[in-house]
Amino acid sequence: MRDARLSRRTFLTGAVGSSALFALAGPAAPAVKKGTSLRLWILKTYVEPTNKAIEASASRWAQKHGATVTVEYFTFEDMQTKYVAAIENKNTPDVGQLETGAPARFAGMGQLLDLTGFARQVEGEVGRAPANVAPVTIIDGKTYALPWYIMPAFWYVWRDVFDKHKVKLPSTFEDAKKAAEALNRPPEFYGLGQSWNRTADGYGVMQSLMYSHGVGWTTKDGKYQSIKTPKMQQVMKWATDIYKEGIQPADTLSWTGSQNNENFIAKKIAQTSNGPSITFALENALAKAGDATERKKREEALANHLALPHPGGPDGRRMWGLALSFGIFKSARDPEAAMSLIAHLLSPEETLAVMRESHGQFTPVLDKARAATKEYFQKNENYRTFGRAAEWFVGTGWPGPVTAAAAEVQASNVLTDAPAKVIIDKWSVDQAIDWADKKIKEIYATLG
Amino acid sequence: MSRAGARDSGTALLFLSPLFVLVVGLIVYPFCRAIWLSFTDKLVGYPERFVGLRNYLYLLQDDGFHAVVRNSLVFTVASVGLKVLTGLAMALVLSVTWRWRNFFRGLFLLPWITSTVIIALTWRWMFDSFPGRGFFNSVLMDLGLLRSPMALMATAEGAMFAVVVANWWRGFPFFGVSYLAAMQSIPLELYEAASIDGASLWRRFWHVTLPGVKHVVIVTVLLSFIWTINDFNIVYVMTRGGPGTATQVFATYSYEVAFNQLRWARGVTVSIFLVPLLVAGIALLSRYLLRQENA
Repeated sequence: MRDARLSRRTFLTGAVGSSALFALAGPAAPAVKKGTSLRLWILKTYVEPTNKAIEASASRWAQKHGATVTVEYFTFEDMQTKYVAAIENKNTPDVGQLETGAPARFAGMGQLLDLTGFARQVEGEVGRAPANVAPVTIIDGKTYALPWYIMPAFWYVWRDVFDKHKVKLPSTFEDAKKAAEALNRPPEFYGLGQSWNRTADGYGVMQSLMYSHGVGWTTKDGKYQSIKTPKMQQVMKWATDIYKEGIQPADTLSWTGSQNNENFIAKKIAQTSNGPSITFALENALAKAGDATERKKREEALANHLALPHPGGPDGRRMWGLALSFGIFKSARDPEAAMSLIAHLLSPEETLAVMRESHGQFTPVLDKARAATKEYFQKNENYRTFGRAAEWFVGTGWPGPVTAAAAEVQASNVLTDAPAKVIIDKWSVDQAIDWADKKIKEIYATLG
Repeated sequence: MSRAGARDSGTALLFLSPLFVLVVGLIVYPFCRAIWLSFTDKLVGYPERFVGLRNYLYLLQDDGFHAVVRNSLVFTVASVGLKVLTGLAMALVLSVTWRWRNFFRGLFLLPWITSTVIIALTWRWMFDSFPGRGFFNSVLMDLGLLRSPMALMATAEGAMFAVVVANWWRGFPFFGVSYLAAMQSIPLELYEAASIDGASLWRRFWHVTLPGVKHVVIVTVLLSFIWTINDFNIVYVMTRGGPGTATQVFATYSYEVAFNQLRWARGVTVSIFLVPLLVAGIALLSRYLLRQENA
């Protein structure tokens, strides 16, 4: 019990940089047999130091318990492919990092262990996730994964450009469009860069836009509801007008996941939505600056780039984001050890160690981890915004819970193909909404 | 059968057995399994249930799939057509150029041996309208022919053009080298006789060269048709099937349905839809070639 007391004290003080030796132990950390070997799958992000920090954290656990952890990475690109192949080949890892829709999808397949009891123990030690985040991991009343952090996208703007032209920083999507119109100076500079492509930069913003306008394709209990509403017409109007009005570079629709970053960093656009990897790129560039002139230029860029929360709509501000959690697959050779590893990774000390290397893209969600990380998010205005990501977070399928059907709606790209049909195929907004609604209804008819 | 004959057959079977195992394991089983899956409702992680033709009927009514069929045909016919024309041109030039012929033959093979992903990324960048990176835009703007960058990849036609060009560039050396080999087997006497009869360059090409390479043209067209209609890498890397669904083809759509939507059976069915078309093509070609051989 001594360990438990120590760890409680550690959690309560939220001491920055506490020794990993005092990391979560006691009731939430089940016993580990010496020589245990685990496979851990984690998301490899653009921020390489974060990946290394997670790997180092897992190594610390292995060292402490005389075990081995093999860390295997998946990327945003091959996340689905790797998990699908592993599930079909019965080669799933012991512990896997899961994105927002994965707990619902994989639990439905019977791939994940029910971690309800373990989750309660962890809650007792580390606290709970906020009420808007926790449901991502709870399916039909059972907990299948433990939330760790949110990786949200923010609305990046060049503050100096806004100041120079005396344009108000946007707090709603309408503001953002008006600002884009005011700042637009084609062909050198455009007011906005928002692609409806097949990446989170596309479907993520589309969901923020829909949810902030009060449009959801499900009811609160997760059943299908039609999106053929005036509110959705408003959403689609915004989504397509930004293309029709020439306030974006002409190739925006064809951007891949990195081209909005490039255009923003190159100062070709005034606003775009992206994860904090933009901040990472600018911080990294400054660290690598050669001479004084270059350094000054990069310092200015870093100071002038501003991350705002996603704009709100008539129904409030709801930011879609990635909620990363840990699940244990039923194929796990040693579930007790897997739980111990998760408990270790979720401890405030380890969370803090990883987060410090994240350049702001890692917003912890469990109470005590959040308390321990508050100081980190005081670094500057952008970091203060990053730290609040969980407040605005909503999961896929708002206002309902994240379900396999909701995840499929996102994965089928119907949300971004709808505006693309108006922009590319010259459909009417109503036609595109009818088409999307039919597709969504179809998905719920088979999975819902 | 004599004892020696039986012994020979036994030995032959023994030597053939590894090949038999490979063919069954790597071709017959996966193919039959795919056919079976297309008649089920298999979702990733769930056991399959037989549903008959439901997947086929669904796809027949799916507007997304209709677009896929259209896009795949445009992509394939345009790519293969360009490859035939440029392959013939390449072979004709190389067949009359004696100096540096081997050097050029090697040079022309470069696209064929380069990684497809590198090719796709390179072409994507070349068509890009990002300032200073898109090759075509930069050149046209430097020459004063364009005022602002042209966003080719953001239009349905432009994106299709871009993936066709990349596919053509990767594939034409195969055609060129095959045609060159066929042209070199045409007896020179035929050309001499035609020249003496006063045949122009064009008539010599039409009446001597083309009939001489006809078989090779047919085989390369069929092979390339199969490779191109199944192509995944170029489209996925360059456009991911976009913008919207403008370049979504069989392979990328099948991947999206199977891996992102987790509808394994439907994804397999998308690919299986092609099989009758390809089988008919192969059967026609085989029949034609056999008839030519017998004649």
